[in-house]
Amino acid sequence: MREGYESTELMYSGHLACAGCGATIAMRYALKAMGDDTVIVLPACCWSIIGGPFPYAAVKVPLIHTAFETGASTASGVKAGLDMRGEPETTVAAWVGDGGTFDIGIQALSGAAERNDDIIYFCYDNEAYMNTGIQRSSATPWGTWTTTTPSNYPKGQPKKNMMEIMAAHRIPYAATCSVAFPEDMINKIQKAKSIRGTKFIHIFSPCPTGWKAPSSLAVKIARLAVHTKVFPLYEVEGGLRYHINLNPKNLPVDEYLRLQGRFNHLSDEDIQKIQESVDREWERLLKKALDTI
Amino acid sequence: MKKIMVGNHAVSWGVMLARAEVISAYPITPQTSIVEELSVLCADGRLKARFIPVESEHSAMACCIGASAAGVRTFTATSSQGLALMHEMLHWATGARLPVVMANVNRALGSPFNIWGEQSDSLAQRDTGWLQIYCESNQEVLDTVIQSFKIAEQVLLPVMLVLDAFILSHTAEPVDIPDQKLADEFLPPFRPDLRLNAKDPHIFGCLAPPEYLMEFRYKIQQAMLQSKEICRKVDEEFGQTFGRKYGVVEPYRCEGADLILVSAGSVTSTARVAVDALREKGRKVGLVKLRLFRPFPKEELLDIVGKADKIAVLDRNFSAGIGGIFAHEIRAAFCNERERPPIYSYITGLGGRDTTLQILNEVIYQTYERPKPEEQSVWVGLRS
Amino acid sequence: MSKQIPLLREGEMPYQPISLASMEWNKTGSWRYLRPRFENKIPPCNEGCPAGQDIEGALVLIGKGRYLEAWDLFKEENPFPAVCGRVCYHPCESSCNRGDFDEPLSINALERFMADMASKHGRKPSLKKREKRPEKVAIIGSGPAGLTCAYHLVRMGYGATVFEALPVLGGMLRVGIPEYRLPKKILGEEIDQILELGVKVEVNARLGDGLSLDELKEYQAIFLALGNHRSRSLGISGEEARGVMSGVEFLKDVNLGKKVELGKRVAVIGGGNTAVDAARAALRLGAKPFILYRRTREEMPAFAGEVHEAEEEGIEISLLTSPVRVISQDGRVTQLECVKNRLGPPDEDGRRRPVEIKESNYTLEVDQIISAIGEEADLASLPKKLAVKDNTVPTDERGATKQTGVFAGGDITLQPHTVVHAIASGKRAAIFIDSHLRKQKWEGLFEALRVGEKGSLSMKRYLQDEKERVPLSGKTVLLKDLNLDYFEYKKRLKMPKAKASRRTGSFEEVTLGFNEETAVEEARRCFNCGVCNLCDNCYIFCPDVAVQKGKEGELNIIDYDHCKGCGICMEECPRDVIVMEVEGR
Repeated sequence: MREGYESTELMYSGHLACAGCGATIAMRYALKAMGDDTVIVLPACCWSIIGGPFPYAAVKVPLIHTAFETGASTASGVKAGLDMRGEPETTVAAWVGDGGTFDIGIQALSGAAERNDDIIYFCYDNEAYMNTGIQRSSATPWGTWTTTTPSNYPKGQPKKNMMEIMAAHRIPYAATCSVAFPEDMINKIQKAKSIRGTKFIHIFSPCPTGWKAPSSLAVKIARLAVHTKVFPLYEVEGGLRYHINLNPKNLPVDEYLRLQGRFNHLSDEDIQKIQESVDREWERLLKKALDTI
Repeated sequence: MKKIMVGNHAVSWGVMLARAEVISAYPITPQTSIVEELSVLCADGRLKARFIPVESEHSAMACCIGASAAGVRTFTATSSQGLALMHEMLHWATGARLPVVMANVNRALGSPFNIWGEQSDSLAQRDTGWLQIYCESNQEVLDTVIQSFKIAEQVLLPVMLVLDAFILSHTAEPVDIPDQKLADEFLPPFRPDLRLNAKDPHIFGCLAPPEYLMEFRYKIQQAMLQSKEICRKVDEEFGQTFGRKYGVVEPYRCEGADLILVSAGSVTSTARVAVDALREKGRKVGLVKLRLFRPFPKEELLDIVGKADKIAVLDRNFSAGIGGIFAHEIRAAFCNERERPPIYSYITGLGGRDTTLQILNEVIYQTYERPKPEEQSVWVGLRS
Repeated sequence: MSKQIPLLREGEMPYQPISLASMEWNKTGSWRYLRPRFENKIPPCNEGCPAGQDIEGALVLIGKGRYLEAWDLFKEENPFPAVCGRVCYHPCESSCNRGDFDEPLSINALERFMADMASKHGRKPSLKKREKRPEKVAIIGSGPAGLTCAYHLVRMGYGATVFEALPVLGGMLRVGIPEYRLPKKILGEEIDQILELGVKVEVNARLGDGLSLDELKEYQAIFLALGNHRSRSLGISGEEARGVMSGVEFLKDVNLGKKVELGKRVAVIGGGNTAVDAARAALRLGAKPFILYRRTREEMPAFAGEVHEAEEEGIEISLLTSPVRVISQDGRVTQLECVKNRLGPPDEDGRRRPVEIKESNYTLEVDQIISAIGEEADLASLPKKLAVKDNTVPTDERGATKQTGVFAGGDITLQPHTVVHAIASGKRAAIFIDSHLRKQKWEGLFEALRVGEKGSLSMKRYLQDEKERVPLSGKTVLLKDLNLDYFEYKKRLKMPKAKASRRTGSFEEVTLGFNEETAVEEARRCFNCGVCNLCDNCYIFCPDVAVQKGKEGELNIIDYDHCKGCGICMEECPRDVIVMEVEGR
């Protein structure tokens, strides 16, 4: 067994995810990192279905389903309740999709972050409202096809920078993770677990179904996203100190884009535009990281 | 111990005596002093609760649901716009069978903005599956808070207690504060078996497919029906412990009455005065206070008003198209009864407009005068 | 595994929707149309080794510090790892996929490391052996081909007797390759290990000189491995003078410890290993040798590494130079007339023919001329039935000659003239001699024992019970089949060598060998192409937790009840072990 990987599994086989689902790899490792003394708060998202219908469970930890926009607020309540029951060591984690984080749930998240409620807030980001059928969210990148941004009128707005929003709340810890780097993810989640306050973990979670890619490429796409700098791996402490965790190989974004059917309609100019914007954002991030040192 | 306190503070002190453990609320006029007083009580350490100052009422209810699912006693308070914002989560709390208790200060719903008393906000939530108890005085408010927790925790449905904006919430009255020890005896700690527990993991609120959802809903219906008896019993017990009880409905001078007023909330106090005055004059007028609204106490009500010639239902609320909601509910409850009195429906005092003795007398007079009820509710005090 | 719960009645249901069991009963395996399977494939190094050694397997063991077990693994196929680890031309390294990525593994150096360690620890080989059999086999020649054949035959229970013309065993390994490349002590140890298995030996027994094939009738089979010990003549006038000797003769004398008078200026003619060895040996004996080769450097058949070392040691190589005439005085060589060449059109073996440049002749002052332009076999003593042609014994793919029961291998047959090919032919002959003596069908053996597509065979598989043999994959893994995302550039650790200035003074080994730390580090660079090394990527990345850990040291297990066939395991396997096949319906 490779070092660092617990052999105890807290996620069952037989769940209802699509073949090749990145979100299930993410959950599997989040649970391994947090251990069994964990409560998951699960608002409406793909995982509401993946977890299985009554009377079955796909995870071995206690989990509460809740309404779409209430991920962070329910989690705050659960944490307060457990504290009052004398179980302050139990980790309370909100497991929310990009819709429930970037859009409808952003208010609750902002509220919890401002109060610095002691929860780990996971956003597993598949860049659209996948559960309801691949509609665009504010996490959908510029130029992407979705069912509400068809190919002849793809998304015209850039992806909302959620990490910056969370950094602006000055929460103790925020980090990006990718399912292609499970050791990095486990380390960051365990670090988050050891900190009191609101922790935000943004997991890049490819959806072969919604991204129109072969199911076998989920992990490869997640890795390329990091190495093309589309989704760099970094941490922000206290909203001010930036650390980049992995030096990307600086591959051209085209290598990442062309694996996914949702980008098929992009022209060379579009790809160039995306490359420039990715480079610019990376430069900004790099500057912040250098300023931290 | 007697204290002079406003209705909102009576709520807060009731919550303190009930030893709520997690409170999350968002301020809205005229509920604000509930939350303010609770903050003070928590800060002083007199109430050992976690107070979560959430960023909206929707989040407040979500917080309560989360905390209740974790197995602790939870409380929130709101009014009109806030209650409406919570609507989705009210359904959620019921379906999740969580004993959340909420105090709602009855206030009109915008648009246009109006911060004064009206019962439309809580009544608009009558389908959510929450029990609803309408309070007449600050004493009743404090007592009902304590009762609500006991009822909720037995029935495993959430309970809403309701008080009028400003007339109760901001008006000081003498209130007898029960002894904490007695309160503890009456209301033991809430420690459910089924809760979010890492040592006994379950998923709560699983997706219920068509094969199962009807049965879950049926269970809620059964619980709601059984809760009436529980409300009555708890009230009895409360009476034995603290010396005050209220019943699910309260008749006032209904013996031999040919016309009975039906009211809920603080207007009942004014109605008592009106009834007394008319009785003096020899009129056989009575009054029924509708305290429990959900579940609807049809039998108890029918028992009292069944033999009357007429009943006049006072609604400080309205639902566009059907008029007064209490009247509507009573009509629906009695529709299959052989012996039922004609139901005269009146709408008064919307948006905090005072329901004076004069208006009540007008109501009674009109009821006597009209041979049969109007199709639509009669709006009394309207400047037309 | 949890069971599916039958539809509950209202009275049986909990009052709120909570889970009562897990989802495991749900066999999501029914969703898939592609099915993954572990299939170990052929690593290109194994295929590239003519002796079919399990190089990848050995590298895994060295990487774990279990180098003595790695040595055991090599000894299953090849009795000469210490020899090969010094003198082999390592086609394994040319086949190594890492060579197309950054730099190939230093397999040759690692083979030598293993052998040196085994020697240091006094380890004896623990080999699979079979029961004793009544038949006896005669082996003519104790070079690498002959001794390898004997080694495998005694393992298979036969009596084996090796007949060697010289007084010492080892063939070209003993008398051809000089001490500084292959110390005799090291060679001796490995030969002893072969003899200890029960091989009988008769030295000073030359075929055609008191020993004839007819006399060997008491043997049920014969393996001819005489080797190429006769030097080709230069074909120029004056070459019969004193002071002109063949490279083969020169090296034999040096290796047998005889004193050789060389003089100072020694002209070595030829471009193969013999020429380079002769020049470097002459240097160490105090002479000033130089090499003359008729074509350019690219066409020199000698190992590039050897040529480079020779130049480091100060030996000049005169390219595009041919000898024309030996000039002697009093019957003793004094000068050599040479001519310069240019390259003309290609030869029948594909190399460009040297064409003399007219009027470019010149003479060199020489004290000694060593001619090393190629060796050939001396097969005059073989019976006509074997139909020797061009100094080569014709054989079929088994190594069988036209005479039943007589097999041949090594340099006398038509195959590349290298040590490892000789070893491979000895092993191959042993396998087919065994199947011949047992009167078994042999045609299927090539398919059953092959290591890749280049003709290498596995003795280990041959000695396994047919039922035990794992089915072979048809695929050799190339760089394009690997998932390179999991590999980082890392410099190859090279075999350390003694400094040139130190080398020229003695016959001590030029190459110094890896130490343990270096060996383990270099072995860990191996990509393990096509062979599962339990990296666990398939286990880690499965979204359905449908790849489970197997027992210690064994392959992971796929839970086909739940595998949805997404293919992530196949994609993330760095070494192409997982194949996806259409699910049989």
